[in-house]
Amino acid sequence: MATSLPPVAIPGQRLGSVASYAAGPGTHVQQSNIYASIAGPVIVDPAQPKTQTKSTLRVSRMVPGVNQAGAAPSTSSAPAPKSKPRYNTLPAVDSIVLARVTRVQKRQAAVSILVVLDEASAANPDPSKAASDNDNVASILTSAANPENHSNTDELRFQALIRKEDVRAVEKDRVVMDEMFRVGDIVRGSVISLGDQSFYYLTTARNDLGVVMARSDAGNMMFPISWKEMRDPVTGAGEQRKVARPF
Amino acid sequence: MMADRRRVNGPSGGTRPAVFASLAESGTGVSERAQRQRQPSELRKIFLKTGLIPTASGSSYLEFEPSASLAAARINPKSLIPPSSALKLACTVHGPKPLPRSAAFSPNLVLTTHVKYAPFAARKRRGHIRDASERDLGVHLETALRGAIIAERWPKSGLDITITILEAEDDRWWADAPDSHDASWGMMNVLAGCITAASAAIADAHIDCLDLVAGGVAALVSDEEKQSSAAPKLMLDADPAEHRSIVSACVVAYMPARDEITELWLKGDSSKASLENGDKRSVHEALLDGAVDAARGAHTVLAEAVRESLLKTVG
Amino acid sequence: MATPAANAAPSVSPSLSLPPSQFARLQPHAYLLAHLSPPPASNQPSIRANGRAPSQFRVTSANAGSLTHTNGSAVVRIGDTTAVCGVRAEILHTDDIASWSVSSSSTSNSNKRRRLGEKTTDEDEGQDENEEDRAHIEDLNLLVPNLSLSTGCAPGFTPGAPPSALAQSLSHQILSLLHSTRLIRADDLRIWYQPPNLGSEALERHNESQQMEIDAGQGSEESDPQEIKAFWVLYIDVMIISLAGNPFDAAWAAVLAALRDTKLPKAWWDIDNETIICSDDISEASRLSLRGLPVASSFCVFEADAAAGWRAVVIPDVNDQKAQNQRKKGPQQKWILADPDGYEEGLSQERATLVVDKAKNGKNVILKMEKHGGWSVDTEDLRQLVEISGQRWDEMKRILDQC
Repeated sequence: MATSLPPVAIPGQRLGSVASYAAGPGTHVQQSNIYASIAGPVIVDPAQPKTQTKSTLRVSRMVPGVNQAGAAPSTSSAPAPKSKPRYNTLPAVDSIVLARVTRVQKRQAAVSILVVLDEASAANPDPSKAASDNDNVASILTSAANPENHSNTDELRFQALIRKEDVRAVEKDRVVMDEMFRVGDIVRGSVISLGDQSFYYLTTARNDLGVVMARSDAGNMMFPISWKEMRDPVTGAGEQRKVARPF
Repeated sequence: MMADRRRVNGPSGGTRPAVFASLAESGTGVSERAQRQRQPSELRKIFLKTGLIPTASGSSYLEFEPSASLAAARINPKSLIPPSSALKLACTVHGPKPLPRSAAFSPNLVLTTHVKYAPFAARKRRGHIRDASERDLGVHLETALRGAIIAERWPKSGLDITITILEAEDDRWWADAPDSHDASWGMMNVLAGCITAASAAIADAHIDCLDLVAGGVAALVSDEEKQSSAAPKLMLDADPAEHRSIVSACVVAYMPARDEITELWLKGDSSKASLENGDKRSVHEALLDGAVDAARGAHTVLAEAVRESLLKTVG
Repeated sequence: MATPAANAAPSVSPSLSLPPSQFARLQPHAYLLAHLSPPPASNQPSIRANGRAPSQFRVTSANAGSLTHTNGSAVVRIGDTTAVCGVRAEILHTDDIASWSVSSSSTSNSNKRRRLGEKTTDEDEGQDENEEDRAHIEDLNLLVPNLSLSTGCAPGFTPGAPPSALAQSLSHQILSLLHSTRLIRADDLRIWYQPPNLGSEALERHNESQQMEIDAGQGSEESDPQEIKAFWVLYIDVMIISLAGNPFDAAWAAVLAALRDTKLPKAWWDIDNETIICSDDISEASRLSLRGLPVASSFCVFEADAAAGWRAVVIPDVNDQKAQNQRKKGPQQKWILADPDGYEEGLSQERATLVVDKAKNGKNVILKMEKHGGWSVDTEDLRQLVEISGQRWDEMKRILDQC
């Protein structure tokens, strides 16, 4: 059954039999056959010798090499790749996300998810390899802000909570939320559960998680000086945060 | 009626559409109903392109080929009254996005469909507020798509599908008076177009689907002056402006890979009609088979459009 | 310096260990600023994040007359923003106008002016005609523009919801511009009736009511005055199909192109049926004779301020450069960006819209200048904007003439 696979597939296209392959993301099984459920390149992941016996067939959401546009604006041919595919990435358990803090309360902080880093880019920080929607500058430029919904863009973003006990791994009982996050901070977090109808739950209890960007009281961008402090380069004042370890 | 203060309103006394002399006193100008130039099973060409609206997660634009008479009228315009019209619509998909705060937890993708005619889309000026027929179209479209989308892959999120109809299909030839079993036949063609276009836009948004679902229409038409004398004929993708009377029509949303119908809408009275040439099928069966054939035709175009935009991005 | 990205020199978008795309989303202001003011050492030109020069408009195209059920229609694309406009003409009988009296329509003066109006050009039109145009078009609401954003054109506009604040404001901007530019002549919208001389012609009027109308124009002025029996009302509907910034320029261009495409049927008062009858003959229909070609150009102002502190962190040597610059002329603090896209609109408060036409001698005629949201644009800037808008006019004229 393992005859030639098509290089690309469209939804509803038959790819192979479940006798030869395991069905991966972007496919579904119908009457012992694997069908594509999205349009994209067909990829075969070789079987892992210990755990699997069959290769996995998947249809990729990613398209190679669309993300570079805009990275180098000097090449003003930038608007060349016009109709840009924008691929959807939903937050899932273990997804790494970047989120903006919208509210800080005694027991939790509410954040609005700006970017879901997909596994490929999370595992491999080399930006040139990541090619999801979220790494596609052109799509961000076109999809961004419309004048009207400045106030309610948060309604279009997935909301999440960082509970007090999920802020850090040590000294959990001494966490004071105000000293961890401020409204407006950009936080790198990991999804621990899909939560209830309105909120995902995030954790920052890892060295590489926490605040990645923050402005001081004076409004200047701060730089991290330790795992729990950032400093305003202009005023020299330090502020407390749960700081993510810079790469 | 209260004036809507959020819109620019016309004269408070209302206005009337133009009345043409050739309609009032017959005999002048072009008053021949156009004849169908296609074979009974021949479909109009469909123009379909995805990804034209970059602010959306997915989008498509669809156009039906103008009928022979409309094409002729475009090239050599004589009358201000168009002989027929051909569907033009734009579809966008937004999402998956968070459900509204008030919504209950949903383990699946929640689909919202919305169909709206532009005020200038049809022979009669349309209102700005969605009317019953537009709501109807939305419901039928949602059913058609819900059967094709793998909703459990997108928990607690919503998908908005919006269709703007820039040019609709006529319900009948302009000079024909509505007859006893008249219905908004043009709507059937509009729905078929909506299904095909929405399916393309969903594929463009990379939402998981069982198959590309395509819309198709078949109709039972009677072109004879006397209704009872001859058996009505089965026509695929009928343009209502080209027929004296439509007895019954059927739209399906169809997935060829699984041979499944996700939506079926049959209108008109076909109980008394019988098919010609000793066709043994019941009228319903014939209509259904015809609509599925039409949908297969549309699916070819749909698959081509999706593949084309995919190849463009993959390079 | 503990900042990990301090070595971002060659990259235009230095980042805190973030790829440019995430940077664009997380710190949009800094991202755009980094493009507009590259480090002097890099020798890179100041360019917008979308690759355009500050005064550069997006690629624009227009296409008219493709919608079957309209009197005139057009599709205009400016970059990724798309507007579709359809014009539908309907008839307003003077009988249906509550405030209408016969005296207001049947002065022989208006008859005279009407005939003059056919020949006159913009320059020598009398104040009277202006006033009468205004009275009829504005007071009777003969122009009805409405713009819709509930088309799925961008996330955040709920389809089916009543017009958003932005949609309402755009509709009213179009209406007021239609009025203030006097683009449409009231005379094109009037449907006249010449009462026959009682007696001799009474027998013929049956068949010749059409003829009568034509005769009326040339008929002797001393005879019975003409009477306005009805007006054409133009429903001008704009659907924004795709919104990626600067909806007004696209919407207005679509309105303009659709009006240039609009044909009104020949119409006359049918005395037997007491109604207006039209001819569907296309050779008898007439186009609108529009006054001029007003072209809209919109701008937004991007200010460096909000990210001043950020630059110091990420590009440590900028302080030295800045000090040198300041001694010379000071760093650029604001950029006026033509035809902003959605990303840029989200990052600026101050907006300006200019509407210009060109006189026969090629001089710019400013028909409207609107500026709000700030005060950083000074007179010198405005002069420059007029210049840019004039160039845009040439481009738009070429595009509209071809469509």
